[in-house]
Amino acid sequence: MRAYILRRLAQSVLVVWAVTTIMFFMFRVMPADPTAMLLERGLSEQAREKLLQEWGLTGTLWDQYIAYLANILQGDFGNSFLYRKPVWDVLTPLIINTLWIAVPGLLLGAALGAVLGTAVGWARRGGKLERMGIFLATVIRGVPNFVIGIALLTIFSSTLGWFPEFGMGDPGDRTGFARYFTLEFLHHLALPLIAVIIYFMPENLLLMRSGVVENRTEDYIELVRAKGVPQSRVAWHAARNSMLPLITWLFPALAETIAGIVVIEIVFSWPGVGRELVFAVSRQDYPLAQAAFFLLAVMIVLANLAADLVYGKLDPRVVYK
Amino acid sequence: MNFTTFEKPGRKSTELAKLNDRLAAKPAAHLQVQNLSVGYSIARGIFQAVDDVSFEVKPGTNLGLVGESGCGKSTVIKAIMGLQPDGTRISGLALLNGENILGLSDRELQAIRWVKVALITQSAMNSLDPVYSIGDQIVEAIRSHENVSNATAWARAEELFALVGMPAARLYEFPHQFSGGMRQRAVIAMALALNAGMLLADEPTTALDPIMQSQIMQRIRGIHEHMRRSMILVTHDIAVVAETCENTVVMYAGKVAEKGPTEDVLERPLHPYTMGLKNAFPRLPVRGEPRQPLISIPGVVPNLFHPPKGCRFAGRCPFATERCHNDPPALVSEGMQAAACHYIDRASEFREAASRPETWRRMGSAA
Repeated sequence: MRAYILRRLAQSVLVVWAVTTIMFFMFRVMPADPTAMLLERGLSEQAREKLLQEWGLTGTLWDQYIAYLANILQGDFGNSFLYRKPVWDVLTPLIINTLWIAVPGLLLGAALGAVLGTAVGWARRGGKLERMGIFLATVIRGVPNFVIGIALLTIFSSTLGWFPEFGMGDPGDRTGFARYFTLEFLHHLALPLIAVIIYFMPENLLLMRSGVVENRTEDYIELVRAKGVPQSRVAWHAARNSMLPLITWLFPALAETIAGIVVIEIVFSWPGVGRELVFAVSRQDYPLAQAAFFLLAVMIVLANLAADLVYGKLDPRVVYK
Repeated sequence: MNFTTFEKPGRKSTELAKLNDRLAAKPAAHLQVQNLSVGYSIARGIFQAVDDVSFEVKPGTNLGLVGESGCGKSTVIKAIMGLQPDGTRISGLALLNGENILGLSDRELQAIRWVKVALITQSAMNSLDPVYSIGDQIVEAIRSHENVSNATAWARAEELFALVGMPAARLYEFPHQFSGGMRQRAVIAMALALNAGMLLADEPTTALDPIMQSQIMQRIRGIHEHMRRSMILVTHDIAVVAETCENTVVMYAGKVAEKGPTEDVLERPLHPYTMGLKNAFPRLPVRGEPRQPLISIPGVVPNLFHPPKGCRFAGRCPFATERCHNDPPALVSEGMQAAACHYIDRASEFREAASRPETWRRMGSAA
């Protein structure tokens, strides 16, 4: 088990290194010249050289690459071109903002999807609940997530006026974590959070349903029924076994879903890391974009590792070698 | 074999002793199945898997239900347990100690399943939940019906494992860590958990190798003799029935072909199908006598979407006449025995002919 985790961690490091390398070259083959945006016109050649040196953009490609890797190893992604301060100073508050909608959104989406999927899968085949469940889940899954966001905004903000239309609210003079524990913040959080849940839930529901439908006709379910346990308990056995394929899908999907959250952040003007990533790319703020991509890569790699470990906890047949 | 379970342990916890006393006090069940018919409705129509089947299991006796695959044996068992799929049409009665248990809802059946009727499943390979330990699954059965602590239920599970000859430590293992024979024993232990008055064993040895088969059957016979539960043993192995069951019901294509005391049915079969079934099983050669040839019955069970209008066995019967193809025979009693054949009076003549391979071979070439 420990050897397995160590080996998987080593693999993960390798994957992250590959991603950072690709990232390095990708940004350098992009057609736009970052200095054009960075440097004001009419700057002397000397001043330009000095700035380039500061940003680590001098020397051969190889020299730049070595310097880049050395910096990353120290956790230093440089300064944002735009904000003119270290990228982590820019990103850290944004990451926290994103986690506020991502973590509860994905957890609730997965949990609700699993519960509803079990209900739909356990319902009478061809019955009303099954048909409605599949229909709604399929339709919602097919709707692009910005449409979900815009629909929520139109209904609950513009028309009913129940929720604010954008942003996180004014923190006033609160700093640090205190800013998150206000009614105003929760009020702003509600709609984007609901959007993430609606966006993430249908896939979970459909996967869970098909698992339960498959498992409910298995022999072991028949024996559980024969034991005379309550129906909810029989359904639980089917659900418990259906979680295995769901988990395999869920963790990698979590990372992918972060990309979907970018869109929701933009629709709700939520100052999160995803929104900033899009801005950074369009402004050729390479250090910032690199750091954000690096973060995404690490998250995807960790999600896969977590999936393997959780799967082992849920399925006694899994052996780590 | 060590049957300590139902002796009063005394040294163990009092809760366990009380539970064991309570369970040991359960009487063996009396089951009367009357005119049971089971039809599956499928897109193409109704598939009549079981047609007007009646039999009785007296308290403490063992009934063998035999017939080749697809004769509706397992369907009978599922119907008694209420495990038929949605949309199945069931008619008739299954009187358990005088009370009908057919057509009850899942909720109503909770008070009957495992408490009064327990099941030893057909494929122990797949009938255990892969993600729970064996012990958890036995404890689940106990605690769903008996208000006892987790520790007591586990102690009971340990006793059950001892009863089927397995070390208690293996309760903590998962189904995939068990061999086929061990799983089958675990399933038997589970079936005994609440000492139900009626045990339904649905081909308990089919998936096992011959050595394991005989071990498991010995185990089942030992338990049967010791606890005197009523039991239905579904099998296609006539030898098993001969060794284990007081009474036998032979099913063919969803109908009862013949029934009666096992000795009578196997020694003096009245129905040509029973005669053919007997031939199809190997007997140990007796020194000095010619080897008994194995004779199989040519043909297959008829399609039950379009059951033949006469005797269902007529198409494969070497003695069939015009009448057999047109008139369905009723069950005719002869002493304790009964068979659904028009020519019960010619049974001894048929028996003699049926023991000769040519009788069946001619049949096969004609078909």
